[in-house]
Parts: sequence; C-alpha cells; structure tokens
Amino acid sequence: MNTTIYPARKIITMNPMQPEASHVAVRDGRVLGVGSLQELASWGPYTLNEQFKDKVLMPGLIEGHCHLKEGSMWDMHYLGWFDRRDPQGKVWQGLRSMQAVVERLTQVDASMTAMGKSPTEPLIAWGFDPIYFGGERMTVDHLDRASSTRPIVIAHANGHLMNVNTVMLQLAEITAENEVEGVVKFSSGSHAGQPTGELQEPAAMFLVIRKIGTAGLLAPMTEAGVKSFASLACMQGVTTATDLVNKLTQQDCDVLEAALADDACSIRILPAFQAFHGTHGAALGAEHVKSLMPRNTDRLRYGLVKMMLDGSIQGFSARLRWPGHFNGAPNGIWVTAPAQYEADFETYHQAGLQIHTHTNGDEASLAAVNAIERVLTRSPQPDHRHTLQHGQMIDAPLFRRMARLGLCANLFTNHLWYWGDQHYEMTMGPDRANRLDACASALAAGVALAIHSDAPVTPLGPLFTAWCAVNRITPKGRILGQSECISVPQALRAITLGAAWTLKLDHEIGSIECGKRADFCVLEDDPLSVEPALLKDVRVWGTVLSGKVFEARKV
Amino acid sequence: MKEKRLPLTVIGGFLGSGKTTLVNHWLSHAGGQRLAILVNDFGTLNIDSALIRSNAGSTMELTNGCVCCQIGDDLSMALISVLESTPSFDGVVVEASGVSDPWRIAQLGRADPGLFLDGVVVTVNADSFLAHWQDPLLSDTLARQLKAASLIVLNHCDLALPHGVSQVRERIALIAGGVAVFETSHAQVPLPLLSGLSLPASHAAVHDGHDSHMDCGDEAAAHSHPHHPGNPAHGEVFETWSCHPTPTFEMIELRSWLKTPPPGLLRLKGFVQTSSPGQETKWHEIQLAGRCNSVSQVIAPIAGAALVAIGLCGHLPRARLSEFFERISV
Repeated sequence: MNTTIYPARKIITMNPMQPEASHVAVRDGRVLGVGSLQELASWGPYTLNEQFKDKVLMPGLIEGHCHLKEGSMWDMHYLGWFDRRDPQGKVWQGLRSMQAVVERLTQVDASMTAMGKSPTEPLIAWGFDPIYFGGERMTVDHLDRASSTRPIVIAHANGHLMNVNTVMLQLAEITAENEVEGVVKFSSGSHAGQPTGELQEPAAMFLVIRKIGTAGLLAPMTEAGVKSFASLACMQGVTTATDLVNKLTQQDCDVLEAALADDACSIRILPAFQAFHGTHGAALGAEHVKSLMPRNTDRLRYGLVKMMLDGSIQGFSARLRWPGHFNGAPNGIWVTAPAQYEADFETYHQAGLQIHTHTNGDEASLAAVNAIERVLTRSPQPDHRHTLQHGQMIDAPLFRRMARLGLCANLFTNHLWYWGDQHYEMTMGPDRANRLDACASALAAGVALAIHSDAPVTPLGPLFTAWCAVNRITPKGRILGQSECISVPQALRAITLGAAWTLKLDHEIGSIECGKRADFCVLEDDPLSVEPALLKDVRVWGTVLSGKVFEARKV
Repeated sequence: MKEKRLPLTVIGGFLGSGKTTLVNHWLSHAGGQRLAILVNDFGTLNIDSALIRSNAGSTMELTNGCVCCQIGDDLSMALISVLESTPSFDGVVVEASGVSDPWRIAQLGRADPGLFLDGVVVTVNADSFLAHWQDPLLSDTLARQLKAASLIVLNHCDLALPHGVSQVRERIALIAGGVAVFETSHAQVPLPLLSGLSLPASHAAVHDGHDSHMDCGDEAAAHSHPHHPGNPAHGEVFETWSCHPTPTFEMIELRSWLKTPPPGLLRLKGFVQTSSPGQETKWHEIQLAGRCNSVSQVIAPIAGAALVAIGLCGHLPRARLSEFFERISV
C-alpha cells in the first residue's frame, strides 16, 4: 500500500468538479486522490516525489486512430515533405525539392556502404508525396543520380505508388515491353517509351515486391517495432493508442503480447480487428475477437473491430456526394459494398463488439449512417458507441443524425494542415474545404468527439492534432472554416476524455481523478496558458503509465 | 525465351452475382487441370468435404490437384506464392471482391513474365442487376466491372422474367458495348468460354486443313451427357473455328488486329509465324480473350502454325478470321 504524492506546477485534470490542482496521489498504479498536499496526506503514509514539481500534468494523451506501423516505418528512410521525429528523437528535415530528395538518398547510400552493407542491398524509403511538388514527377533521372548501382525503392505516402531507379527496374525486369497500365513511361524525349520508374497500383509494383519480398513495406509487425512505437508515443505524451487495423493472427497476437508484457514498454494498445477484405466471415471474426478478450491485460486490450467503406480524399478514392471532386476526377471506390458492410456490421454489433468504421468521403459516411440506423432499428443496443473514423466531409445534418443514433466521430484534423491546401485547390474546392473535419459542428450537434493523426499517415502527436483543430490553418496560411475552430479546452478534451469515450475507456482513463489509471502526460509548458497558435510547440517531458514514470528520449 | 506462362483469369462481379458458384463450377470441372484459385474468403466456398485433401488455414488442397488460397488483403503476396510453388500450376483464377475493379486486378496478369492474362469474366445477377444499377451508390462500380469484362456471364436467368433478362442485356450493351454475354443459371458456363486451357488444342481441332466445329450443346452435352431442354443454362451454344495459317504476319499488323478483334470472337489461341522489319522470322504464341491479349515468342511448334477460335453460336466472325489469318477475302 505504497502511496506516492506528486506535486506539480499545475495539474489539468479534465474533471470538471476540480479542473486544476497542485498534487496527485498515486497508489497501485491508480489515482488515489487529487487536491492539496494536506488533503492527500490524510490518506496516511506517503512518499513525496518532487520530480514533476516544475511540470504541468495532464491525463495521458489518447490516440484513438493510429497504427503501430508508425514505429517500424523507421526501419526505412524518411523522405517526406514535412519535418518528422524518429523513435530515437532525431528530427529529420522535410525535403522540399527533388534535389533535396536525391541528396538525402545519396547520403543514405553512402552510409549504407560505410556500414559495410552489400552494394546490392536495396535502399527502401518512405513518406514521399508528389502531391506537394506541383506537376513535377520523380523519375529514374532523379533516382539514378543517387545511385546507379544500389536498387532504390521509394514508397509514396499514399501507399498506392512507388518510384524505383534504373537498377531496380533492371532487377525486376520491368522494360518498355511491360504492358501493365500502371507502369508509367516517358512520353517524349530520348527515353520515350521507356519506363520512368514510377509504378502505380499493385500490379505495376508486383515485380519489385517479388524481388525485394517483405523487406520494408510489407514487413510484419515485430516486438522491436512495437517498442519503437512506444518510445515515439512517450515523446508525444501518449499513454493509450489504438492499432486500428490488425489481422490478429496468432503471430500478431504473440508479438503484441510479448512486447506489451515488458514493463519497460510505455504504452497501452487497443488493436482493432480487421473485419474487411474477407479475412474471416463476420461470424467467425466476431468469435475470434471475443475469444481473445479474456487475454486482456492493462496494456493490451482486444475487443475493437475495424471496418472500412471507402478510400482517401487526397488519393481521389474516397466516396463523395454531389458535386464530387473539385478537379473533376471520378468518384472513388468502395472498399466494402454498402450492403456487405451492413450485414457484417450487424453480425459484429449483435456480438456486442464496438465497431470503428473508416469513412473518408461524405457519401461513405452517409452510407454508414444509413446502414447503422437500420441495424440499430432491428437490434437496439444500449451504449454501443460505434464510431465513424476520419469522417472528414460530414456536415451538420449528418452529425445531427449521428448524435441521435449515439454514433461517435473521430475526425482526422491533421488533414487540415497536411493536405488542407490540396483540399482547397484540388479535391474539394473552396467552400467545401472549409467544412473538412468539422469539429465545431460535431460538438454543436452533440456528437462525442475525438481527433486523430492516423499515424504513420501523419505523425503521431495529439497536441499537434489539437492545434490543427483549434487553428485550422494550412501551410499556405489559409484558415479553413473559421467557424469550425474549437477552443483549446475542447481540443484537449478530444485528445483525452473524448478519445477515451470512443474506446469505451472513459471510466478508466482520460482524466485525472480518483479511481482512474495513473496515466499522465508530463509537460514543460501549460497548454492552457500558451497562445493557441503555439499549442503544437508545447514541450513534452514524458509520461506516466499506470503509475510508472517514462522520460521521453532526447537527442 | 520464357518457359510456360500461367494463364490468369479474373472473376469479377457484384455481390450475389454468382462468382463463388462459378469458381465452384470451374473447380468441379477442372478435368485434370491443376488450378490455383485465389479467393477472398473460404467461408463462402462450398466445397464438398470429400474433395478436400488438406486445409491449412489460408490454403486448401483438393483431391483433384487444385489449390484454393485465401487472399487476405495482399493479392500480390498470394500470387507470388502461387508462382513459386512446385510443381507448378496450370492456371490461376482470382476471384475479385464484389466491389473491386477486375481490370485493375487483371493487370497482374501482365505484370509477371510468368503469367499472361487469359480473360476477365464478370458475373451479373439477371434478377437484381437493374435494381443495383439504379442505386447511385453502386452504378459507377458496376459500370467499371462491366467495362472490364472479356465475357459477361448473365447469371440467375432462372430467377428473372424473360423480359427482365432482355432489359438487362440492353443495359449491359449500353454500358459495355459489344462484349459477349452468356446467359445461364447457377453459373453453368462451358469451360472453353472461361479458359484458354479448355479450348481444344489447335492442332488437334484441325482436320484436313480446315475445320468448322459446331458444338451444339453445352460442354456437358459435348461430353455426351443428356441435354436439359428448356433450362436456360443449357440453351446457349458455342462454336469454334480453326486453321493452319500459312502466311507470316507482320508483328505490328498482328498486334493491332488483336487490339481490336472483330465482335463475336470470344477467344483465340495458337501459334503463328511473325516478322518484324530487319529481323528474321520468329514464332509467336497468341492468346486472346476479349480485350485481353498476349503475344509471346516461342520455339517453333512441332505441329506448325495453328489457331483455334471460339464464339457463341452464330456470332463467331468466321469470315473476318479467315480474311486475316488465311488471307481469304470475302
């Protein structure tokens, strides 16, 4: 019965009964009490731990939609447009020109050589997104400058494309004769008819995947990857995160269970079972998830189900309502047919499981709401908390229907920054881009709200995600929908209690109050006193997870 | 020169149109062919347990030598393991999901030198198609599928009124143009329409230099099973045409002919001699199924040049075939 009392510069509790306090007492990994030292001392003997006396404590941050892959992406080399921090804490500068990309690749090639790696070992990189480069496309002309001997493979951020250099083309035997539609060829110049090295969609990438196998992109989840994720999470103050698509095979479960049994692993994970792409019939899938739940521990919680209706807006594969894409691109794709979705949803719902549905475009969100309304009419279920994930183009009327049905929204506010200008200029156009990730409308309608990064699609970092929701600013300085901005307290709630609600864990985490897990995000600065425009710059010291203290790695 | 290339067939079509029934039908009439069948989910495959030799999670071996693999979410990896397995298969059939674009999947048949695209079969539910077509959430998906087809199997005709079937046919013609449509029920499609493997070998089909084989029944009839008169599944008939082409074909001309084959030609395969400017004469194997075609260099076949074609009875463009391949003008 050891009690530790932590004094802090400020404790932001998210408990309206006592929004701020100076001390928190922890016993058995849970919060014993919040208040003054005198109040807490009345519980009996205690140890006073002053390591946070100059820090600000918040509830441990909760990322309701990300993927463990955020940890293992760093086995490859980062080529993104934006700065990004790796699991060691090193910040890799964003690359703003093809020349910068070539220079980074040249350095990587040299360091691979210096490390004694075979000159034929492929260099695999990630995070490149041509959408930021105007009309300029990457070709072998760029990549051959980085290496004419080592195969180079660059996976684009959207997952549907890759670029390779000439050595890789030769190795994969991709020639001018290859008739696959996604093998892009030079239309003019001295190389007219020859492949440019850009490979679109799986068929075009097939021969490369066949040569490099599961290296890099398709690498299975490992214990080391989970631990890298945990150290990234600690740097961002995150104590609970989802792995929002996991096949939960025996191997997946073994990795999760081994990694999270290690006390040094600073994260609580909720893997969501992949209930699409026919990995199981729905009934078998529901049975599988329920059979795993008895194995739950504090740090590993099975029970979530993930379904998927459409693609992505910036990939032009989201399902949109009229008037469709601003640039005239055809409507996107269904990943699951709406009728199949409804039938499978009903099966998981009747099994008592909570379902998170990927819907990016508003037609997909509408199809989900229509289906769920019918399912709930046939089989009402109290407190189901089914959640629409991304929900980027949901408007006020649809939020009002969601509120009536008890549906939660976890909106992808990082898009406002990362693709906000592209949505304004290319995908949605002015006006509609202003209602992207409409947090204020969701709250006004009474929808339970969380916000997310979808890491590794964008970097894990709930305070940044909150900053996006508060400021709605784009890299070019546009404010996308001033009226959809939410306040800092509302945004902080969305990354703590709001997210906890969508995971059915609000009784356990999401605020600092008696009985809850002692999960803290330890900050150097006070997010409630900094300028809202600087919310993203609030410094994180580390975390406390169920009473155990973790200091974030620093470089 | 590449060794034997595996034919890849994609079966697409919306939910409930009979893709899985077609896969089951194909499996039970495989006739000694060793097929790898890639499906989304075993759950819906209804394979007689007596036919299952072993079932190891995502792979099921059948007693007739065929293997079913569950795709999961990575078709490329599933296909790689098919290509790398020994002994090798005779063909690969991919069952697409109900909303996916089979043409995209079909590109895989062109991706690897060890494969060629042997056709895109799209199943349509004659009874429910028009209702789905009127759903604005689905019409673009359905159109994408139909436009991808080298053969449309208009299935469940027994459930639809004759009037309804002809309305569906009209709609399909508006969407997908002149693609061949085979009416049936329970996905009873003669295998030669589905697969180049099941076409009579071209040299064997040719008698006395020229052959005109009319198979006035379905494939069951061809194997001397009784007719089932009145059953729409057995009402359709296919016919074949074959020849020993003597000319040498200009590669450019040949490829361009194959790109826009005459309407009514369902499949064409065989060996011809080809020439390209400044190069010596070569032998090529031709495989054509609707909008899918491949031409690959081969060693000289013992039986010499030979071609066989198949089409629905009364629709095979015999004159156009003879005109091009036999230089017989009509």
